[in-house]
Amino acid sequence: MKRLKIALCFVFFFTLAICSAYGGQSEIRILHVNDFHGFAEPYKPLGSDEMLGGIAYLAGKVDELRKEKPSLLFSAGDMIQGNNWANLSQGESVIELMNEMGFDAMVLGNHEFDFGQDVLRKRISEAKFPVLGANVEGLGNLKPYIIKNLKGVKVGIIGVVTEDVPISTHPRNVAGLKFMSPIDTVEKYIAELKNKADLIIILSHIGYPVDRILAERVKGIDVIVGGHSHTKIEKPVKVRNTIIVQAWEHAKVLGVLDLTVEDGKIIGFEGRLEEIKPKIGKEDKAAFTIVEKYKQKVNAVLNERVGEAEVDLDGENVRRRETNLGNLIADIMRHASGADVTIINGGGIRTSIKKGEIRVKDIYSVSPFDNYIVAIKLTGKQIREALEYGVSAVEEEEGRFPQVSGLSFKYSPSTKRGSRVQEVLIAGKPIDPDQEYIVATNDFLAAGGDGYKAFGEAIKTSKDFSIIGGMMKGEKLAYSDSGRWLRDVVVDYLKEMRRIAPKVESRIIEVH
Amino acid sequence: MKMKVYVNHIPVDVLPGMKVKHALMKVGLLKEIEGSKKVYDEWGNEVGLDGALSEGMKIYIRTMNNE
Repeated sequence: MKRLKIALCFVFFFTLAICSAYGGQSEIRILHVNDFHGFAEPYKPLGSDEMLGGIAYLAGKVDELRKEKPSLLFSAGDMIQGNNWANLSQGESVIELMNEMGFDAMVLGNHEFDFGQDVLRKRISEAKFPVLGANVEGLGNLKPYIIKNLKGVKVGIIGVVTEDVPISTHPRNVAGLKFMSPIDTVEKYIAELKNKADLIIILSHIGYPVDRILAERVKGIDVIVGGHSHTKIEKPVKVRNTIIVQAWEHAKVLGVLDLTVEDGKIIGFEGRLEEIKPKIGKEDKAAFTIVEKYKQKVNAVLNERVGEAEVDLDGENVRRRETNLGNLIADIMRHASGADVTIINGGGIRTSIKKGEIRVKDIYSVSPFDNYIVAIKLTGKQIREALEYGVSAVEEEEGRFPQVSGLSFKYSPSTKRGSRVQEVLIAGKPIDPDQEYIVATNDFLAAGGDGYKAFGEAIKTSKDFSIIGGMMKGEKLAYSDSGRWLRDVVVDYLKEMRRIAPKVESRIIEVH
Repeated sequence: MKMKVYVNHIPVDVLPGMKVKHALMKVGLLKEIEGSKKVYDEWGNEVGLDGALSEGMKIYIRTMNNE
């Protein structure tokens, strides 16, 4: 009798297991992050009094939620570049962390290309999870898709990145690579996965507005786990038959999507964003250890000696006159971008450096902002207007006062505002008001920061931009490297030059 | 590839690769975010300042109370 009972129990549980796997319902969970950008530590976002984020706390939440249901952990891209914690190891810290957290897959974001292809290949080879990029040709070790079997449910996961990558990073980072239409690519691979997977999930780094278009145009997508637009989708959105989720940015939330699946179809779903805050005891210990380890490495890099100044570098007077530090930075920007001239705002230079050894942290103090170099074609007239605006508030020592390279000019501070600039020379010749010159600046001024309008007007009048042979070409845009902060360009220059002695050399002459 | 976006219905031309914060800067509204205001897309989702822009995207700055 006892044997019979055991046999009946065995048959019952075996049948239950079979039904659960093949005929019954399955509950599965998708955990997701996007646009982490190396923000490993909690921080106070602009306009907030509260500390948010902290990847060790997010990892702790992942541990907790994984215990409840069979889960997959995904990243929708832009993980390895942004914050110093990631940048100073070129993303190695992030991959080590993701390995520890047991990610199931990630898609490349546009900023994954910012350290160049060699570094990216190395990062991909270090990853213990598949890195997807179905619409990227030429990188080698990428996968277009994977299939995961979760509690009997076969989940096909396709990864696509924005085809705008070549216009958001330095051209050398994408040389030889081809970025195809995400929509066409998804259509192609859905057809391939049709008979291999029960569910189709797209890991997308194309931005929420384009995710919606993707969902409207392409049939057969069950879920889009998105990134790129840093959108905080509090509750999953359904467009036609596709569920779209995205989890904001910087590990400030963890996306949770619970799916009920029956006979290979989603019959129910529920999703939310779990807010991540630093709570002692809630962190994942292994993740916390990795965060601390790389914090120490960041400190070591910041203390690294990169060169020597043979003179004091003046960052104090950048809002009222030409200084040697202003000249140095303007020269580096002109050199890096291949521009004819540079115009930057003195207010972007925050401190001086004493004669003697220069460490990375000194440069980071001089240029603490996440600014990057752009170069735009301006007419001589527009350059003159920019300089005129730049000297228009010298009395108040406002940040708009220019520091320049490749040009010199005279101005009279005692003349009324708007007509102070006199002679302007470019490469030793009088400026031609109708000729176009390539002007390097930072993205802050290009976007109209400190009230500069000349760059914005040039952008406004520009015809279309296009990508030709992997290079961005535009009527007015000559250079843009949004993935590399200006401070890092300066550090690299100093590492190459070792000893510097910039001078004040009559680029900006005050006359009365 | 030239990009036009709209901030509180104001058209703004931005360079490819520029982000939400650049669009706000162009219309002089970045400082608003230091207070109680946040940025939302046309579907009412909050977006981060480093969020990517796309052609024709509409973003709005408003206080959290208006959500």
